[in-house]
Amino acid sequence: MVYWILLQKSFMRNMQYKVAHLINNAASAIFGFVFIAIWIGVLQGKENESPYSALDMTYYIAAVQCILWLSGFLTAGLNIQNGVRNGAISLELARPTNFFLYVTSQEAGRLLYNLFFRSLPIGLVFFFTVGFYIPQHIPTYFFLCISILFAMIISINLHYLVGVSACWTTEINWAHFVNFTLLVGLGGQLVPIDLLPAPLSSITPYLPFAGAIYYPVMIFLEKASSDVILIQLVWVMVLTSFNLWITEKARHKLEIQGG
Amino acid sequence: MNLYLKLLSGSLRSRMQYKMNFLVSSLSYGLIMAVDFVLLAAILQRFDDVKGWNLYEVGLLYGISSVAITLYRVFCVEVHNFERYMIEGEFDSLLIRPVSPLSLLLTKNLDLSRIGGTIQGILILVISIIGLKLNNVELFLLLIYLPVTIFSGVLICFSLGLITATIAFWTQRIKDFQTFTLYAPFNAANYPMNIYPGWLKIIFFTVIPVGFMNYTPVLFLLNKGGDTWNLALPPLVSIIFLFIALRFWKFGIRHYHSTGS
Repeated sequence: MVYWILLQKSFMRNMQYKVAHLINNAASAIFGFVFIAIWIGVLQGKENESPYSALDMTYYIAAVQCILWLSGFLTAGLNIQNGVRNGAISLELARPTNFFLYVTSQEAGRLLYNLFFRSLPIGLVFFFTVGFYIPQHIPTYFFLCISILFAMIISINLHYLVGVSACWTTEINWAHFVNFTLLVGLGGQLVPIDLLPAPLSSITPYLPFAGAIYYPVMIFLEKASSDVILIQLVWVMVLTSFNLWITEKARHKLEIQGG
Repeated sequence: MNLYLKLLSGSLRSRMQYKMNFLVSSLSYGLIMAVDFVLLAAILQRFDDVKGWNLYEVGLLYGISSVAITLYRVFCVEVHNFERYMIEGEFDSLLIRPVSPLSLLLTKNLDLSRIGGTIQGILILVISIIGLKLNNVELFLLLIYLPVTIFSGVLICFSLGLITATIAFWTQRIKDFQTFTLYAPFNAANYPMNIYPGWLKIIFFTVIPVGFMNYTPVLFLLNKGGDTWNLALPPLVSIIFLFIALRFWKFGIRHYHSTGS
């Protein structure tokens, strides 16, 4: 199947930059150490005031730093904007493939690469330094796989939406900044969303950003029930349907522009 | 200097041809940094302090670090994006000009979209200084010293940026190094150094000396420790580090091999 081949090719392309990525992994781990240090400093002597202990937050941040490479650090606009700027998108949309799947399968290949060469090495660094949580129950691993898969689909969709908006705006830098900020800010990168001040703490659990980072991490730490996967599933369906629809609108707009 | 100002004004004029893009990019970049600080505020609102540093004290560190790195990103955009010159082979064109390559890089372009981050950093500084409720003498000393610490921070950032750019003479690509040498250390410098484990502190006070930029002087200015040496160290360290960076840059140029046909 063509999309599977695209995914594999994208995986292999990323393999060319393994050494550079390993250096970047060290930096990512340092970010993690900084955030862990903040939480240990904050919770020192105040653990009874918090639903999380210092060890909980160490595990939380360590898991977040790994998950970020699967659902946080995606290609800006999935590079759709480049095609819009140089006109290549007209050819890409004319291909006898589904444009949405054509773009997203390539990003999926990159994320699969990230799993092996970013998330796992970073997780190992934390495992041998500050500690890394190991789920205690077998079903957790099953739910974790589903939750991570949904997190990746949600994030790919959000980035696709930013990218395809280039068909109308050309420039997407600002949209990418905003999307990324919301993703890490409301997705629980530094602060678990239940610790956010009201009303944010009651709204954010139902936003897609929580589905991209917070829920898979909480399932991994066995601190959330598997029911949260349903919230992720809803966002997977809503965002995918919307993106398929908006792709058709973009194709239509392109025809008008070119005609 | 005249030439520098002319080149800068030319760059400014070209950027202002796309005013809307400039405004939206600046706002969104400022927003990213603001959200970071809002999250920190959310933590400290709930837990009061991080190892004895309250929100306004951390805000002072955060503001200095943010202003320093964003000013570097505004004025040294070509040094920051230096890998382009290696990958696309554009560095040769800088070598044949009658001005030094570094001067050309520094005057070629401005990234004004980053100015939103500088404004946001200044806002955090203002809010923090008001919230600190310092007495007149402390406030006077802090306000007098702020430009020194920010300038030292820009010099340290520029030196780190230049050292990383020099690595491109051997590796071509440096984006991944920048995360290690710039983004992670400056993110760490947003918070007090006393929260970090010993090995991280050693790194931030030696090979990547971001700790001197804001933590060392603020420690003394907020009566948290140290002596007047704490005020002398940031400019001293930044000048020494700049000297090392410039020497390394010259060493890199001497070992540069073009990819000619």
